[in-house]
Amino acid sequence: MSNKIIAMIRKELIDAARDKRSVMAGLYYAVGTPLLMCAMFFLLIGQLTSPEDLNIKIDNAKGAPDLVKFLSSRGIKHGEAEDTKEIKLIISDDYAANMAKGLSAEVILIADASNEKLQNSIRRLERSLQEYSGEMGSLRLIARGIDPRIMQPIKVNVKDEATPDSKAGMILGLATMTMIYAVFISGMNLAIDTSAGERERNSLALLLSHPVSTWEIVIAKITAVTIFAMVGLILTLLISKVAYSFVPWQELGFAVSVNTSFIVMMLLVGLPVALMAACLQLFVSFMAKSFKEAQSYITIVLILPMMLAMAASYNIAPEAIQWLPISGQMQALIEFIKGRELPLTQIAVSSAFTLAIAIGLAIGMQKSLKSEKIVFGL
Amino acid sequence: MIQVSNLSKRIGDVQALNDLSFSAQNGQITGLLGPNGAGKTTCLRTVFGLLKPDQGFAEIDGIDIAKSPVAAKQQLGLFPDPFGLYERLTPREYISYFAELNGLSRKEAKLATNNVIDKLHLADIADRHCKGFSQGQRMKTALAQAIVHQPTNIILDEPTRGLDVMSTRVLRDILRDLKNQGHCVLFSSHVMQEVAALCDQVIVMAAGQVVAVGSPDALCQQTGKDSLEDAFIQLIGTDEGIAA
Repeated sequence: MSNKIIAMIRKELIDAARDKRSVMAGLYYAVGTPLLMCAMFFLLIGQLTSPEDLNIKIDNAKGAPDLVKFLSSRGIKHGEAEDTKEIKLIISDDYAANMAKGLSAEVILIADASNEKLQNSIRRLERSLQEYSGEMGSLRLIARGIDPRIMQPIKVNVKDEATPDSKAGMILGLATMTMIYAVFISGMNLAIDTSAGERERNSLALLLSHPVSTWEIVIAKITAVTIFAMVGLILTLLISKVAYSFVPWQELGFAVSVNTSFIVMMLLVGLPVALMAACLQLFVSFMAKSFKEAQSYITIVLILPMMLAMAASYNIAPEAIQWLPISGQMQALIEFIKGRELPLTQIAVSSAFTLAIAIGLAIGMQKSLKSEKIVFGL
Repeated sequence: MIQVSNLSKRIGDVQALNDLSFSAQNGQITGLLGPNGAGKTTCLRTVFGLLKPDQGFAEIDGIDIAKSPVAAKQQLGLFPDPFGLYERLTPREYISYFAELNGLSRKEAKLATNNVIDKLHLADIADRHCKGFSQGQRMKTALAQAIVHQPTNIILDEPTRGLDVMSTRVLRDILRDLKNQGHCVLFSSHVMQEVAALCDQVIVMAAGQVVAVGSPDALCQQTGKDSLEDAFIQLIGTDEGIAA
């Protein structure tokens, strides 16, 4: 690498390190997202381990004390407070009589089935009622000397082959996505500042009037933005490593362990992505007429990698997505965290695509710096 | 030496340069004088290869800027309008950065930067960030950037704009120094006093063309006027666009 390129990279980095906005953009993300993810994990643990009490209205509770006791052992209780759900369970007046006679005792469940928010609660109540009904039925059969199994011609025995880690696919996907996304966020402000910002401050024309080739300028700017992006990624990984160690993973049944091999893997896979992110952001900002315009374009452009990453973690896209940039690497990384073998072909192909896009954008940028329209923002 | 031959350039609907030819010699200060919109900045940008002429070519020390831009720019120093300072760098960093871009090693660049800081009496502000500099401080920093690598040719675009009397005098002295050292100094201006006080050769431009060439005295004689200002108006045939 020539002295001129090194001098330019050094200057870009000094300039950026003194720019609060550029540094903060990366820093906020690197510190913020692992903490947010942790908060989410804690919420999830809370939900999994202790389902909340479900308070509903129970009319004529005295008519069926045994049922009410059963429901309350499942966390379903009669409530008057504000958090009482709009679900009403009416126990008919002849409930006790019918129950004693061995007939069907009637309970009426009143709820708005179209209310999405109530769906889970209604299902939970129905399940508990079914369970109670089944239990009573079995007792009645036993009382008549009949094996209750006669009522279960088929016994379904589900064997879940999912390992605890693979159950967590979606959450792992989200965690990986926030890490990969760090390379897009951390370098973004520098990319805009060094392209659209440089032109706005009139230093682009001055730079171009010095004896440096447009290729040297493009390479220096891409390198500087990539370095910033990678520093952001390293910070995110380190903070994740610390923050994730506080999550009680045993309660979730899976773990995101940010160990050394994962960090190395992430950095190797992240480098081509960071290069592409740098090229993409610089290219878009050079096309924009001002700093502000570049900001709004980049925000729109950043939706694309986000969508690819989402598609990879939710398995909602066609097969081809496994070879594309970002989604390919994401899927491979998720496999890696799940403890499966790393799909090398997938990483190789998607990284090659990523690099090809980066080179294409760099060529475009180099050409654009020779255009009067771009340089003077005409 | 800067040689411009038959330059034509159209920007949008405007014929900014129209078959423009002139040369600026070493050891001389050449002034490019013209009203606003005469094509001075376009001309200088073309000399730097930032704009591509539709016709004609510009040579710096005999090197065609369009054919070998890096070699040609090596012989040039630019004092641009606007300055294009990096506000978060100090003048020392700024000057040495551009020295390195002109092919000096880091060590040489540091040395050259120290020299130019001494020469322009920049020492008191050399290690402050450029943000918040006065117009005079900005001018000195930009000028240091243009001459740090000691190019044979120095081009200045409207160098005296916004400067007070003291700064203008500093600038004049430096330009005369450069001339005495044998550099080719080319600057554009629309300020008569400036041009009259400094220039060995004046190139009067209007509507993208050369209207007259000569020393300030020769131009006055040619038009039979006492002052360069009157001569200038006589030459371009209108009093439009003359700013103080």
